[in-house]
Amino acid sequence: MAKGTVVAPFVYDGLQARMVEAAGFDAMYHTGWGNASSRGLPDVGLITLTEMTERIRILSSSADIPIISDADTGYGSYTNVIRTVREYEQAGAAALHIEDQVWPKRCGYMQGKQIIEKKEAANKIKAAVDARKSEKDLVIIARTDALAPLGWDAAEERARTYYEMGADMIFFDGIRTRQDVEEYYRRMSDIPCVFNNVPMIPLEEVEQYKFPLIIHPGMTFHSWKAMFDDLEALKKTGRSLYTDDYTTLFNKLTRVLGADYYFTLDEQYKNL
Amino acid sequence: MLREMLNSEGVIMAPGAYDVWSARLVEKAGFKAIYMTGYGVSASVLGKPDIGLITMQEMAEMARNMANATSIPIIADADNGYGSSLNVIRTIQEYEQGGIAGIQLEDQIFPKRCGHMEGKQLVPMNEMVSKIKAAVYARRDPDTVIIARTDARAVISFEEALTRAQAYVEAGADVIFLEAPQSVEEVKKVAEIIKVPLLANMVENGKTPLFTVKELEEIGYKIAIYPATPLYTATKAIMDVLEVLKKEETNAACMDREVDFPTFNKMVGVPEMRNLEKSFLVE
Repeated sequence: MAKGTVVAPFVYDGLQARMVEAAGFDAMYHTGWGNASSRGLPDVGLITLTEMTERIRILSSSADIPIISDADTGYGSYTNVIRTVREYEQAGAAALHIEDQVWPKRCGYMQGKQIIEKKEAANKIKAAVDARKSEKDLVIIARTDALAPLGWDAAEERARTYYEMGADMIFFDGIRTRQDVEEYYRRMSDIPCVFNNVPMIPLEEVEQYKFPLIIHPGMTFHSWKAMFDDLEALKKTGRSLYTDDYTTLFNKLTRVLGADYYFTLDEQYKNL
Repeated sequence: MLREMLNSEGVIMAPGAYDVWSARLVEKAGFKAIYMTGYGVSASVLGKPDIGLITMQEMAEMARNMANATSIPIIADADNGYGSSLNVIRTIQEYEQGGIAGIQLEDQIFPKRCGHMEGKQLVPMNEMVSKIKAAVYARRDPDTVIIARTDARAVISFEEALTRAQAYVEAGADVIFLEAPQSVEEVKKVAEIIKVPLLANMVENGKTPLFTVKELEEIGYKIAIYPATPLYTATKAIMDVLEVLKKEETNAACMDREVDFPTFNKMVGVPEMRNLEKSFLVE
């Protein structure tokens, strides 16, 4: 991955991957929440490893930019973590994050998260680091969910332990406010950190913190809101909120999805 | 269908299938039920041991494919439900949706190990009780059979296994599977104490003696699974023929070990397809 800050919008399907690449972003973030939601499920630890890798494969064949993927808790214990790392590598992920929650986990912003013992979590990071095939260059991010249940000191201690075990980056989940961001930066800026911009702070204001990787849910939140709003409007008023001509959108989509590429190839082979 | 069979006379023999074709073969051989073995599916799908690497999605997909290819009830291994009670709910629903008649859950931690391996660890009894209740809650078809397996015999004691089995019955389990009893006496004791249908695991070189169906019926068991028999047989047969192939450098030397082409085509349903094709042809 490039030097300097990488901004990776949230994605969970092939179209979103293509849109992110077409918009000029350097990387994309495969969200477990998004994956679960696409199956009609909440982000409460119901999704399996293979349902995540199936989607990573789709993202990988949809766009050429690196994929940073949620890997929840590694889907079990040490042997499962090993499988996770190898399957993610093979599916085309450039980076993954493994967190210190119990399984089934919860979304990092939910109440009632439970954290496993620090030693077990650290050992899982070691297992992940040992499992990767060096030629694939997979970046291992150790995420800690300890902030909300256990506080800043515990989260920092854990993150530093995971980093010592060989994680390439660390990631505090559950950052909510501007103050949280500043505290995160103040404590952890000596180590490469991931920032999840759920608080939606404008990027020019985040620049000062020099996070090497920012994962960004803006498009995801915006599109979900649009879906809710449109369905409500359609139900109440009989009118969709979408009032543009459909052909412009249709053309834009077919272009992003690469229809031209396929038609060109088709012509090429027909005319051989 | 499976529930009816549980209420009827006789022992239900359920040989183990590890893929769709082996499931078809079990049906073709005239058995009344199929057992989908996680041990076998781990070997088939991953080439790995039965140590909790396979995901619920992979198991559910195999179960669904087996159900689509057969018409006799399938009892499917669902390991420990793949997490907590929450995951059990999803597991039950996915398996049921896939057409599975009986779903087996066990009281090991996640990731589990094969029942006849060393080093198994159990969840607390109450946690398993919750999982059984969750399974009962999750099923949409009241005829879906919930089988509760306890691995406590090897890890704690036979008495603990019996205590847990009773608790699981109270929680709503339809069938009890006490894994790896170590003697004829223990096998018989289970039948004396537990009052729901019982499943016996007839696995070669395992810790439990191998009984005939007649013996199991006399003792009072309802279901006999043979999880590894087809898998081990196929393994030996394939190993042997590959050895011949390697040695003779021609598969002409292998043919006497094989089902022939016309026979296989018949088994896999080519004549039916041909007839269907013909019936759709417009003259």
